[in-house]
Amino acid sequence: MNRFLVAVLCLILMVGCGKSVREVDLSKDVAEDADFSSADYFRITDTMVNSLRVSNFTEQYAAKHSGEKPVVLLAKSLLNKTDEHIDTRLVLEKIRTAMIKESMAQFVDDQAFDLALDQLNLQASDLYDNSKAAKIGNFVGAKYVLRGTITNLRKREGRENINYMNVTMDIFEVETLLIKWTDEVDIKRISKKGFFR
Amino acid sequence: MRKIVLTISLLLSIGCATYTSKMELSRDYYHQGRYEDALAGINELVDKAGGNDLSLYLLERGKIYLAAGEYDLAITDLQAAVTRFWEIEGTVSIADLFKNTLLNPGMGEYQPDTYEKILVNCYLLLAYWLKGDEEGAFVERNRIIGRIRQYTDGGAEEERKDLDFTFARYLAALLYEVEGLEDDARIEYAEIERLHPGLTPPAVNPHLTEVAVFTEIGRAPVKVSTEIRGYLQKEGDELLGFFTFPDAPAPLVFRTGVGEDLKIDRPGVLFTFAFPQYIKQERVAHSCKVVIDGIEAGEAVPLDAVEETAMSAFQRKLGLVLLKSAFRTYLKTVAQTKLKDEAGGVIDVLGKVFSAVDRADTRSWQTLPAEIQLFRLESTPGTHEVYIKYLSEDGEVVRISERVTFSMMKGRKGIVYVPGAD
Repeated sequence: MNRFLVAVLCLILMVGCGKSVREVDLSKDVAEDADFSSADYFRITDTMVNSLRVSNFTEQYAAKHSGEKPVVLLAKSLLNKTDEHIDTRLVLEKIRTAMIKESMAQFVDDQAFDLALDQLNLQASDLYDNSKAAKIGNFVGAKYVLRGTITNLRKREGRENINYMNVTMDIFEVETLLIKWTDEVDIKRISKKGFFR
Repeated sequence: MRKIVLTISLLLSIGCATYTSKMELSRDYYHQGRYEDALAGINELVDKAGGNDLSLYLLERGKIYLAAGEYDLAITDLQAAVTRFWEIEGTVSIADLFKNTLLNPGMGEYQPDTYEKILVNCYLLLAYWLKGDEEGAFVERNRIIGRIRQYTDGGAEEERKDLDFTFARYLAALLYEVEGLEDDARIEYAEIERLHPGLTPPAVNPHLTEVAVFTEIGRAPVKVSTEIRGYLQKEGDELLGFFTFPDAPAPLVFRTGVGEDLKIDRPGVLFTFAFPQYIKQERVAHSCKVVIDGIEAGEAVPLDAVEETAMSAFQRKLGLVLLKSAFRTYLKTVAQTKLKDEAGGVIDVLGKVFSAVDRADTRSWQTLPAEIQLFRLESTPGTHEVYIKYLSEDGEVVRISERVTFSMMKGRKGIVYVPGAD
């Protein structure tokens, strides 16, 4: 009997102290509090990509340019006007990934310029077989820029945290500055801390 | 009897080091500008810190890292502290409540004062800006504005005035100018003008090349634990005892007749009434002159009296602190006299031990300055060098700061931060 009790106690202690890891289904990811969360990345990306799909931005361009896909550049990041340090570049990159996967556009890599230039200069040197080297002068200029702004309005009252967030994105044409597509996502969340911690 | 007195004397001599005494060395090194030495000391304290003091030590270390120019490390520490402060704000821990009330007020998790919470974001803003992360600085500006609004909305006028930091508002206004948000900058300058007339620039011009030099003078006040201890013992109809008062040369010993009415069941009662006192630190420098590119550009103007804000915040809380201390003294005395103790005096001895080691909570952000001063000047594009001449009350130069190099771009604002001096 005593041995049984000791074994049960040990088991309980082991369970209590054990490390717990759980995989989260990202499609069911929910925010932990009122702040910007990983769930918001998915919500914003999904909404924006859906909006781009229904806007026929790609089709309209293709119709005018013999079936070509538009060449788009990402802004450095979303303009972050919130009171949170958010990696807003991730939103842009997730949208870019989805658009490339769905063949909605071609993207120029804004962050690869220096690296590419170094490579081109190197390959143009005598170190490389010039007949097989990458040629200078073939960079493709972007016709459009994908950019956006994230803003929030927060009110904290006692243990309550009320946070309204707005993400507005657009694609503008470099030549004309005309906005060819825009949409927004609004999120308002209220979280309340427990009285006891 | 002799044994008891000896035990009590021994207990009285036991001293738990207070936060202020633990921080002494690092604080001194920091204010002398010896940041490496200050960091060596504070790293040891951070390593040893339990969860209760960790956030406060991170604040101190973050501030030292900022002064030492280690902006990434400053951001890591200050952000960690801020996150924890937000998590615990407005919440209560039963364990902390128990420890604070019954055992020692310094045993619970550190709850920062409101002014400290606003200042963390100011120093974070500086860390991001000086690191070159403009967007990070804008986020901290937004947080500052949110914080000020949160704490000043609906508060008492006196408290509102204390928490409406001119330093915080000035940083926010400058960054609004940098971002080209003139209207927002104007709103902040108007608030500053209302609080401290004469500090704002004559006009808001985001395209004017200007540098704002923020410098710190003096040390923030520190809390010390003041204890009144006593020992009472009844012998026949007489009450014998002694009291030790802070700064008194010798204990007050007395013997008085009390009759049979007073009942002390145990051999004697030891009590300690411990409470914090906020002590202003001696200031060597009282004002300062800003030297840019070798030319004495002018005298900085006082922007914020952190010392006064800290003292006011402390005064507002003092009543409650004293009440808690009195309650704790009462409980510990009761434990020695009234509680049934069938385990051979364990409760009595424990009551005496807890009374003897009682100390007030002396925790506060101690690497803060007594005062923040500002000097704003139109500048030219290019690289410049600035240093500060700290002056005594008589106008004598008492110290010269390290030289700080900064770059200015045409039509942009520059921010220079020169950390504290005694």
